[in-house]
Amino acid sequence: MNGSGPLLEVQGLHVWFDLAGGRELHAVQGIDFDLGPGERMGLVGESGCGKTTAILAIMGLLPPSASAAGHVLLNGMDMYEAGEDSVRPHRWRDIAMVFQGAMNAFNPVRRIVDQIVEPMELHEIAEGRAARVRAGDLLELVGISARQASRYPHEFSGGMRQRAAIAMALACGPKVLLADEPTTALDVMIQAQVLELLTGLTRELGLSLILVTHDLPIVAQTCDRAAVMYAGKIVESGPTEDLFHTPRHPYTRLLFSATPDLYGRGEVISIPGTPPRLDREVLGCAFAPRCDMAFEPCPSVVPRTLPVAPGHGARCHLNDPAMRSAS
Amino acid sequence: MRSADYVIKRVLFAVVTVFVAVTLNFVLFRAVPGDAVSALRCRACTQQFKEAERRELGLDKPLVAQYWLYVEGLLHGNMGSSLRTEQPVLGELWVPIANTMPMVILGTLFSIVIGILVGVTSAWRRDTLLDKTGLYTALGFYSMPTQWLGLLMVFFVAGAIHLPTSGIRDPTLGLLTHASTWAVIVDRLRHMALPSITLGLSLYGEYALITRSAMLETLGEDYVLTARAKGLRNLPIVWAHGFRNALLPIITLVALSLGTIIAGAITVEYVFSYPGIGLATVEAIDQRDWPVLQAIFLLLTLSVIVFNLVADLLYVKLDPRVVDQ
Repeated sequence: MNGSGPLLEVQGLHVWFDLAGGRELHAVQGIDFDLGPGERMGLVGESGCGKTTAILAIMGLLPPSASAAGHVLLNGMDMYEAGEDSVRPHRWRDIAMVFQGAMNAFNPVRRIVDQIVEPMELHEIAEGRAARVRAGDLLELVGISARQASRYPHEFSGGMRQRAAIAMALACGPKVLLADEPTTALDVMIQAQVLELLTGLTRELGLSLILVTHDLPIVAQTCDRAAVMYAGKIVESGPTEDLFHTPRHPYTRLLFSATPDLYGRGEVISIPGTPPRLDREVLGCAFAPRCDMAFEPCPSVVPRTLPVAPGHGARCHLNDPAMRSAS
Repeated sequence: MRSADYVIKRVLFAVVTVFVAVTLNFVLFRAVPGDAVSALRCRACTQQFKEAERRELGLDKPLVAQYWLYVEGLLHGNMGSSLRTEQPVLGELWVPIANTMPMVILGTLFSIVIGILVGVTSAWRRDTLLDKTGLYTALGFYSMPTQWLGLLMVFFVAGAIHLPTSGIRDPTLGLLTHASTWAVIVDRLRHMALPSITLGLSLYGEYALITRSAMLETLGEDYVLTARAKGLRNLPIVWAHGFRNALLPIITLVALSLGTIIAGAITVEYVFSYPGIGLATVEAIDQRDWPVLQAIFLLLTLSVIVFNLVADLLYVKLDPRVVDQ
């Protein structure tokens, strides 16, 4: 392990899906970010913005119809250049994942405990009885009695399966955990428990977390940093506080006003229009047609990411004095 | 205990099905116009002789009484006597069954192994040349009439690799010198080869197609993605996670087809003049030998029921969800 530097670096990540008729869907259009040890980052955006695709690309789990370009560095190792044989030993051991709809992450014909033990034995973390004890401990950690470990997935409720999936993700003590909508199917109480658990684990184990969600309050509650994705690009990223209080991209601001407040204060405003189709090139800023502050350059000039505060960047012409003065 | 409940339920269901099958088998042979005796054609068959025959076979009694007679006979393992040889039917059918079984088992094993390998490979290498080759070959063999495939084997394959095209043993074997057990076994296998391969080829297509579609479904499941994320190699992902789950629809199909294979062997046995249950069926139909036919029908039905029961019981072992439904 090299102690300095980020644990996970993503540089210029692109993902294309092959469509029928030789066309391509450009699902992820060049995203960059770093993740340090113990850091919790939220990846936010509406459905179809490419957040799940980006996560799968980082894991190297894209379907054969997809192709990826860019660099994903785990502890300095370029996972795309290293090749599957070199990456495989690091899977689950260094970088693990909780899948979207994690309820189906378990093989229905195998016992929960066996599925948690499987990666431990594969990566020689623990074996036999010790591995089973460890699996039981992990289940206890997520609030499931170790006595239930030898049950089958269908005997667990949805929430239990979701928490068991987190226990499974922790089996090999990963350094990075990618959690794709880990709480969507859960009721509010269990959702809070799971989030608390994830936060606690990052504190205690130094685990780094990427939390993919469309639910902003969850990010506010859990993450130090957040990146907002729109149409395959990160449009704004920065410390969660800054993002919430001083959003510098209209999409971020509108996204917050589209989130209902727990106490019913303020009005919920939905963002009119729909995201652009990604199977053709988008001219200018992808958000321009829906933006309430779009001006002259927006529909034609693609905005660059500009720093607006320490560690806070936004991809919007409004932050570019040159653009503003020109129009 | 829930799995015990399930097993009891399945067995009871099978028993009821057997009873229904027995009854239908009885009705079927009474529903056809004319009876066994009216089909007799000979100079000596006077009206009186026919009446006497009817009395002897119990055909003059009311249907209900005949039914009880039939059921009672079955319970004693008595399926009547062949009209042609006047020997008990069960003894008559014993040899053809013993001939058919190894041939059918060999052919089925062949088709299951090839079918599953092709299906799994096709699904794993979806949309590649390998997949297309496997898929279209399977479709081709699946759509070929078995007897036509059999004839192709006789014309083009048998000569090329020197395999016998008819019968079950070499008529000259053991005539001049005593044949060793080994020589007899080899001779049997050589005679079994072409019918088995024909049967296997005609069946494997279906297995390959079902396996492929079942595998495509399971390989798209989240737990397969999880297995990849865990760092498992391709082989355990495909077999331990993908195929293990695809096994359920495959078992159903295998059980269903095993039950009908004996009947399906009719055309194969006919083409290769293989003295098995299929050929016996054809002969019994030709000779209007209805007790034999009735017994064959019952055996075929029973084999379908038994194999389905076996599949149902295998589910308990293979899928923990079955018991909880």
